[in-house]
Amino acid sequence: MGDDKQRGTNGFLTRRGFLGTLGAATTVAGFPAMARGQGPAPVKVGYILPVTGPLAFEAQLALNGILLAVDEINAAGGIKSLGGAKLTLLPGDTQNKVELGKSEAQRLIDQGVVALMGPFSSLVAFSVRQDTEKARTPFLLLAAVADNLTEGGLRYTFRMQPNGKAMATLTVDNMLEMANAANVPIKRVAMMHEDGNFGTTMGNHVEAFAKTKGYELVQRVPYNLRSPDFTAELAKVKAARPDLLLISGYYGDSKLIAETAAKLRVGVHALVGLANAAYSNPRFIAENRELTEHIFDGNYWHNPQSARAKTVFEAYQKRFSSPMSNHGVQGYQVTFVLKDALERAASIDRDKVRDAIAKINLTDHILTQDAIRFDDTGENPNAMPALLQVQNGRPTVVGPARFAEAKPVFPVPKWKG
Amino acid sequence: MSGLLLQAVVSGLLLGGVYGLVASGLTLIFGVLRIINFAHGAVMMLGMYASYWLWVGLGVDPYVSVLVTAPLFFLLGMGIQRLVIEPNRDAAEHNQLLLTLGLALFLENLALVLWHGDFRTLRVPYANASFVIGDALVEVSRLVAAGGAVLIALALFVFLRRTDVGKAIRALSEEREGAMLVGIDVARIRAVAFGIGSACVAVAGALITPFFYVAPDVGESFNIMAFVVVVLGGMGNFIGALVGGLIVGLAESLGAALLPGSLKQLVVFVIFVLVLLFRPEGLFGGARGR
Repeated sequence: MGDDKQRGTNGFLTRRGFLGTLGAATTVAGFPAMARGQGPAPVKVGYILPVTGPLAFEAQLALNGILLAVDEINAAGGIKSLGGAKLTLLPGDTQNKVELGKSEAQRLIDQGVVALMGPFSSLVAFSVRQDTEKARTPFLLLAAVADNLTEGGLRYTFRMQPNGKAMATLTVDNMLEMANAANVPIKRVAMMHEDGNFGTTMGNHVEAFAKTKGYELVQRVPYNLRSPDFTAELAKVKAARPDLLLISGYYGDSKLIAETAAKLRVGVHALVGLANAAYSNPRFIAENRELTEHIFDGNYWHNPQSARAKTVFEAYQKRFSSPMSNHGVQGYQVTFVLKDALERAASIDRDKVRDAIAKINLTDHILTQDAIRFDDTGENPNAMPALLQVQNGRPTVVGPARFAEAKPVFPVPKWKG
Repeated sequence: MSGLLLQAVVSGLLLGGVYGLVASGLTLIFGVLRIINFAHGAVMMLGMYASYWLWVGLGVDPYVSVLVTAPLFFLLGMGIQRLVIEPNRDAAEHNQLLLTLGLALFLENLALVLWHGDFRTLRVPYANASFVIGDALVEVSRLVAAGGAVLIALALFVFLRRTDVGKAIRALSEEREGAMLVGIDVARIRAVAFGIGSACVAVAGALITPFFYVAPDVGESFNIMAFVVVVLGGMGNFIGALVGGLIVGLAESLGAALLPGSLKQLVVFVIFVLVLLFRPEGLFGGARGR
């Protein structure tokens, strides 16, 4: 345990992470000549993530997943079709800024990466994808969910995770199905979302398919992420008497909203996060046990039925001394998408790697979905969020049924007046 | 009054108290030093971390932690003034502004390196304490913060009127050369003023922590509004800052309750622009109203 402490609670400056970064830097500088002489040349893989700045916490969790996957791949003998070539990670820090995202992506492309992973935020992704397209470099989107990222006939941009539309549609479907099974029909829905691209996209979807799914959106409240108080907003929501409150937000805002909703007794059957950054986050749950119990979230997740997921989670816990988060899962899995493509491409030619990614049919994965594939636009048609509920302080998959590990508690009495 | 309106007024007043609390130190620093201190939010963030770590490490209640953090941040503020700002006192105003902005960036990134980007929550046992007036919910921790704002404003008021140091601060803010002529050590008084401002915002941070969260960029949630409040109340006037805070809080809360979407901050900034247009010295006439 003493050893674990040195790694930091979420691995911000882990020894291995640091060595990995250092290794990447020295590869570029050509420092360890002896390393070059042995075996095949390493395959350079780039990531651009906001590892400093406002999204640093979440980005680090995703990066931890990438680090875990890269080390697992290298320890198992690297890319076999390339003679056991090891993966070398080249780091890029976007600070969640568009200009930096573009310049870091360009720098990594110039340094000869075979593909880029990142960049977390949809706004940065939207700009970077033009550069990767121009440079004919595969770009594996990480965490970004805005629908328009794959629009425009792009060839090199791929998204493994569900986009905003899939996330919203399938989560609401899952909730409605569960409510019907419990004989508690959902007629009135309220939605709160942050007023950036992410939240607004989610809000638009929930509003758009209200009619077809047979509920009324009785209150839609966009809000500023940095608002220090949501009491008035939630009083407004309460006055609209919704059956369900959906929340698309980040960490601090989601915390304040859940807290205030509980104090106000907002009177819904359930509080449901929609791709919420907090409500299925183990750390948030651990710090707010009482508050988060029985809260729902529709989010990308791992498959609890998968034996491999179990192994990966144990490895993560051991290395970073904290439970693996869904962003970690994404980082881990997207690295293995690239690994699979490299194996089949048997080349570090970016176009060949791109073709191999496009043709992927990966069944050995840890996500709540069928095989990972990509359609012509670069979206994964099988991508699917899980419906999670915090039970006994743990985010638990309660839907869709074939991945569920427990029965949902619904309706939840605690939000009622 | 309908339940929604009453709730909006109550939570607006409580929020306004918090804004006034954060703004009180800022307005003091401006009144004396004539420096727009962009690092104010960052110093508050440090204060919040100080209270957080005292709670986590030693189990010190955040309200009790001010006994430690206030003197500590008084010294820190004096140090910042002596080492960073004083050497640039004669530089152009925009250079000083950039200096405090740079200091803010430095402190935020220092926090990021030291404590990562995690959001941290300080769970005190009474975090959920609240009561109901009419139909309106009142959170005790927010009420305490608003009450703290009033106390700090009054304490500063009395301090500046009754003590020698306070009188020296007032003298300095009114007439620098005159203050020097009567033998006031102006460099020391400036450091004291910056120290008091920093101590105030550390107390603000401690009072906010029980109902908020701690993160390296947490100061940004309050920084902009604190500036609006300072301008509204008149720069250098902390009774004005308190009242300005209440106005901003009310405007924001009522805007949230009555207007669609995220227009609530629009109300605040419309008021802000109107005040700048018609009463640029602030609602309460700047430092003169002190």
